[in-house]
Amino acid sequence: MSSEPFDSDDAPPLTETIAPGTASDPPLGAEDAVTVTVDGTEVTVGSGATLLDAVEAVDTDDSVPALCQYDRQDIGPRSECRTCMVETDEHGVVPACSFPAEEGLDVETAAADAAEARDVNLDLVLSDHNLRCTTCGKNGRCDLQDAAIEQEVEEPRYGVLGDREEYEPIDDSSSFIQIDRNKCILCNRCVEACNDVQVEGVLRMEGSGQDTRIGFQNGAETMEDSTCVSCGHCATVCPTGALVEKGIEDATTIPLPGFTQKNSVGKVIDGTDDSKEPMTPKKRDLPVDTAPEEDKEVRDWP
Amino acid sequence: MSLLDTDRTTVRIASREAETAIGDVLRDADSEVHAVGSTGVPAVEPLVLLTEDGRTAFFAACSVGRAEALLTGLEDGFDSVVDGADAVVEHDPNAARLPATDLPELSAGQRTVLGPCGWLRPTDPDDYEAAVGFGGSDPETIRELGAEILGRGWGDWCQDRTLADSWETAREADGDPTVVVNAHGTGADTLLSSSAPFAVLDGAAAVARATDAERIVVYISQDDDHAVDQVETAVWGYPDPPVSMSVVTGPAVYRAAEPTMAIEAIEGNHRLEARLRPPGPDETGIHDRPTVVHTARTVAHLAAALDTGSPADSRLVTVTGDVAAPATVELPERARLAAALDAVDGAEEYKAACVGGRFGGLTDSLDVRAGPESLLDAGLGTEGVVELLGEDRCVVKFVGERAQFAADTNCGRCVPCREGTTQLAELLRDLYDGRYRRDGIEELIGVMERSSICTFGVDAGRPTRTAMTEFESEFHAHADGRCPAGSCPRKAEVSTT
Repeated sequence: MSSEPFDSDDAPPLTETIAPGTASDPPLGAEDAVTVTVDGTEVTVGSGATLLDAVEAVDTDDSVPALCQYDRQDIGPRSECRTCMVETDEHGVVPACSFPAEEGLDVETAAADAAEARDVNLDLVLSDHNLRCTTCGKNGRCDLQDAAIEQEVEEPRYGVLGDREEYEPIDDSSSFIQIDRNKCILCNRCVEACNDVQVEGVLRMEGSGQDTRIGFQNGAETMEDSTCVSCGHCATVCPTGALVEKGIEDATTIPLPGFTQKNSVGKVIDGTDDSKEPMTPKKRDLPVDTAPEEDKEVRDWP
Repeated sequence: MSLLDTDRTTVRIASREAETAIGDVLRDADSEVHAVGSTGVPAVEPLVLLTEDGRTAFFAACSVGRAEALLTGLEDGFDSVVDGADAVVEHDPNAARLPATDLPELSAGQRTVLGPCGWLRPTDPDDYEAAVGFGGSDPETIRELGAEILGRGWGDWCQDRTLADSWETAREADGDPTVVVNAHGTGADTLLSSSAPFAVLDGAAAVARATDAERIVVYISQDDDHAVDQVETAVWGYPDPPVSMSVVTGPAVYRAAEPTMAIEAIEGNHRLEARLRPPGPDETGIHDRPTVVHTARTVAHLAAALDTGSPADSRLVTVTGDVAAPATVELPERARLAAALDAVDGAEEYKAACVGGRFGGLTDSLDVRAGPESLLDAGLGTEGVVELLGEDRCVVKFVGERAQFAADTNCGRCVPCREGTTQLAELLRDLYDGRYRRDGIEELIGVMERSSICTFGVDAGRPTRTAMTEFESEFHAHADGRCPAGSCPRKAEVSTT
């Protein structure tokens, strides 16, 4: 982060002004090549490896969804979904995706405490996801759907986000990318793709608790008013139907008469159709909104 | 000149506020009058301490009228006013600590770590030098003590663990270490920062020597203006600081005290969320440099240990909740928590106590020792906070509100905490619909405890878990449509949305 200020007007945003709203995690992973044992099988992994690298190298006793993990192009581990918990002899139950592989560590995927944690956490992800797969453009190519099928989820403990009054509107304002936050699992892949790979500084994590959401660094309410350059990387990395390229947002929906991707949520923010010249606002004209958060009101009991 | 060396009659006013109405009155006395900060026990404050020739007279909760009478009496000398005192004690003429008295509110526990509070002028380096002395101990001695002292509070990276291993990690890591004193949020840390800031800085300087650190950052909630002012003044007045010292404020939200969120705040991030671990901040902390994070309590304990030669076998305990005013006392680890109740008014009758901070454990008995092992054995927390619930309080409502607080104020990063606390609150709301699913609640809390990223989520279910054991009949009563305390709405009145 030592770049000098640019002078030209169409300069990309300085990395100093990128404010993704996420924590600076320490470097995670083994310092050297190490050998660990996963479900009785010894496996050697290289430097930088996490336990998940070892888990994925063997045929494990239990499946480990590691739903939020991406691990390509400097994205992740975010280690937020905690569906990768495994039991170790030294450290108890740990998240495989972000726990450094350690020489001699013995890992068990089928240990009861770890398996229960993976199951409960997957159900917790589903509890905040609108499971309207039949009207979702990612039906059949969704990491969450795959994990739920793989884990044989039949009746999630905590239900799903089914109350339409709680839904956030679909943000259909951009000509290129649609956002349905009701399907977002907050894996942060899009934020990292936008900031760490594309260095665009558009998306960010914002809010806290149940208000945590993907927002825009310029404080805009809609994709259209953000500084998005429509590169599409966020949609590429999105594990669910939360960020989808326009034109295919209902590509895999089941054709039920009168029930569409948009009216499955019911509220839609449309674009203004204002022509934009240049296509995106000049970034330096838009301040980065980094107002610190205030203490929140706590909902009344009960 | 130090307050301890004077031959004259000395008037101390112990109070959280430096400027008091009685201070204006007593200023006219023919004696030295000094503001010495809070003792930790507001029930006796403002407290006037009149000292002459190794005797101190205590005038508790001193009104302006009483101060005026005192002023008049003092014209005839010290002996003419001692009869009207609440307590008079004899002590070493150069006593370094507030002398022990039989004043009920001040009689709880000991005053080793709290020694300077209410006795020394908080920001006067001469007082601290005379009473305790800015430490020059060699690093090896400091490390030996660090191997015996446990970190205090959830804001300490070494909570309930000895300090020395973390220091060693920081020393071995790449880059010059930073020492963060986390004084965010907990009453005892705020008290020490306000009333004994030199003890905090002196202890931090010792950690810096033990870790070859290059700077000290004291981290305080932006709402604690007084503590911020006091520590900043002490930083300016610190004689020959061995490393750079500064004060950084963080947002006044509960989670901001978590060690990695403290580091995020110090780095200037506008949004606070927990960092993954391992490795911890002692390996990679502020701007990737090794960073040891201790609470003000921990470093003040270290400073006291360096002064006396061995760690005090004591814990700072703050009593709060349904009491007239919160108080902080220092209990021997073998003492029962109940002993701390002497320091507060209104604690005669209580139904339950939440022991261990916001997310402590609930119990109906404070007949448990103050040391961390006893507390953990009893399923309680070691934060050093005892929150009393009066006889009329509903335990289910209390733990429901704590679960909701956790759901609304968590950082939002990990699923077991973000979604788990929300579902926990919903499972507790189900009680009002007649459903009590203890197994489901225990399963959820177990997963939150073993898979959350940070202590916030690990501890968030503890009030509920412990209450289900200690007060289970109340859960059944609510499921049956009845709140024994009469404070919860009946089923029909609760919206089920």
